[in-house]
Amino acid sequence: MRSNYQVNATVRFAMLSENQLEEIHYATLEVLEGTGVNVFDEEALHLFKKGGAFVEGNRVRIPSALVERALRTVPSRVVLYGRDGSPRVFLEDHKFHFGPGPTNNFTFDVFTKERRKPRKEDVARAAILCDALPNIDYAMDLGTPSDVTPELADVHAFEALLLNTTKPIVHWAFDVQGYRLMVEMAATVAGSLEELKKRPFICLYSEPSSPLQHSREAISKLLFMAKNRLPTVYTPCVMAGATSPATMAATIVIANSECLAGLVASQLACEGAPFIMGGVVSIMDMSSTILSYGAPELSLAQAGLTELGHYYKIPVFGTAGCTDAKTLEPQAAIEAALSIMLAAESGANLVHDVGYLEFASTGSEPLLVMADEIIGMVKRITRGIEVNGETLAVDVIHRVGPGGHYLGEDHTYRHFRSETWMPELMDRSRYEEWATKGKKTMGERVIEKARRLLLEHKPEPLPDDVVARVKSIVERAEAEFRAQKAS
Amino acid sequence: MGAMHPILSEAASGFFRNQDSFLEDIKENLIAGRASVVKLLTEQALRRGVPPEVIVEESLLDAMKEVNRCFSARIMAIPDVLLSSRALHAGLYVLKPYLTAAGVGVNRGRVLIGTVAGDLHDIGKRLVAIMMESKGFEVIDMGIDVPPEEFVRGVNVHNPDIVAMSALLTTTMGSMKTTIDLLTESNLRRRVKVIIGGGPVTQEFAQDIGADAYGYDAVSGAQIAVSMMDQMPHVGPSDTS
Repeated sequence: MRSNYQVNATVRFAMLSENQLEEIHYATLEVLEGTGVNVFDEEALHLFKKGGAFVEGNRVRIPSALVERALRTVPSRVVLYGRDGSPRVFLEDHKFHFGPGPTNNFTFDVFTKERRKPRKEDVARAAILCDALPNIDYAMDLGTPSDVTPELADVHAFEALLLNTTKPIVHWAFDVQGYRLMVEMAATVAGSLEELKKRPFICLYSEPSSPLQHSREAISKLLFMAKNRLPTVYTPCVMAGATSPATMAATIVIANSECLAGLVASQLACEGAPFIMGGVVSIMDMSSTILSYGAPELSLAQAGLTELGHYYKIPVFGTAGCTDAKTLEPQAAIEAALSIMLAAESGANLVHDVGYLEFASTGSEPLLVMADEIIGMVKRITRGIEVNGETLAVDVIHRVGPGGHYLGEDHTYRHFRSETWMPELMDRSRYEEWATKGKKTMGERVIEKARRLLLEHKPEPLPDDVVARVKSIVERAEAEFRAQKAS
Repeated sequence: MGAMHPILSEAASGFFRNQDSFLEDIKENLIAGRASVVKLLTEQALRRGVPPEVIVEESLLDAMKEVNRCFSARIMAIPDVLLSSRALHAGLYVLKPYLTAAGVGVNRGRVLIGTVAGDLHDIGKRLVAIMMESKGFEVIDMGIDVPPEEFVRGVNVHNPDIVAMSALLTTTMGSMKTTIDLLTESNLRRRVKVIIGGGPVTQEFAQDIGADAYGYDAVSGAQIAVSMMDQMPHVGPSDTS
């Protein structure tokens, strides 16, 4: 026997200490209580007031006790199910899951290799790719469709997602009416609203407006989901130096204050409502003025916010696999790989924006496919090194002796597959083989794979009658919109 | 593919089988790398009157074709190929006496392989041997640090069709030329084809020193050996022109 033996089953990553996290927590409480936030929704203002916050006009100052009560009632975990009702994504502890992002203004078409406006079929394609790629755990639209009624683009995109993947769907809407339609569509697929609540396969997000403002749309959508006990993401988008102070610590405080104000509202509307915090926390590039999706500070601030989420035991929405590069070039690979690595190591639960080019302006199918490979590598690294009698294999080393080889050992055969990650897109062939096969670069191989998946992968279809009912909801929304416009 | 293959005990109890079921089982177990099962099934098939040539052609070689296809398609990896190769040779071991009697060539050919003098690098040469064995070659491994005289002695003793040399160091590459020269001096050069490979070796170097071919990796080396044998007239190793 032996005592005091410790095992690290995975790679360990820690950035902020318990004391630093506590310090950020207190700074956040001070902002919420002292500075307060602006809320532009009557129902939310009423809830805050009734709950014990100090409300003057739109300014809401939230006492620390109110925040800490919400932190106690929010569930520490959210499980997202597949469209088929199987549990898929466990948003708890340091378990990480990757998926694309939403609402890009452009898309990179793998067939024509052009940057163009996204169409509804592109959302279906994004869903098909997400469905096919093993390291992508859920689907988002990767571009707002431009070939549908603009005011209903959210609903059309949701339909395209719903019909083309069994993986969980994370989506958005312009307003509460959009949320209502989507929940109705999802409930149709699930069988009933009750079934959807029991096994939610959708998660809808809304965004506060940094710094420290909560629009009517943002908070009313949040409350709608809370009252339905459906999972929601409240995701600030903070630009250090512009919509938050230039320092990372203060940027995290701003993002966290916005998240926690949302959390308080959600728990006041329905104690125990599932809530996911997080967002896009990065810098404004002081030359180009863009919100950078490739900056090291993005990964750094995301990791800080993630650790804060773990400190609170609230599931975290992360950001990674994205880039400021305009096309699939080495910059994209560098920025995507580093951010994916850090998101995984910090243990962000629902990491989004995989496949974003051009600081979120363009959704890229090839980048999504390449990131799937990167995530595979990162998962292998994260698994770490297993140390025990079997893996140390001293007996095997002894038997083979100096000068022998291990290719023929049972031990090799038993372990090589689970120990080593087998690449699909990374090229490890010798020069001659690579040359014979056309000297293809990663970019070319990625485009080939994306095309192949899009042509070959057939997601499990929904029953015809369900598809018809889902489509009829969209048609009804179109008709109502036309009638509303006419009146 | 694990679950659907018969395990040893099941194979041992397989009496009322027809020829096709034997051939199919041998093939499946060979692909799965179960040497002992292949050996047992091959013995049973022989006892049940399945002609040895049929077992070679329709089970063993067919299975190895599938193994090589799976390896190219990255469905199988080197350790899988090695296990299958062992299973192949377990089957061939059983069949050998019968096939020699019937005058059928079991092996694709015989390869004498070694890492040249001064070079202790083993694994690359081993990989070439594995891939060649998987193609049905009989491989005689002379080991590492093999001086030219040893290669010459090996050719005299084993009468191979092909001599394969490996070097990983630029400082030991020269020994490949010395070996080829000594084969020529000993009047053995025309009896064998010479193929070389290893980290610093190139196509140009192979031509310069008078080797017949260069293999850039284990798979290409084995493929080249196959095409060498295909081009060789099957009248005996001493008669190459």
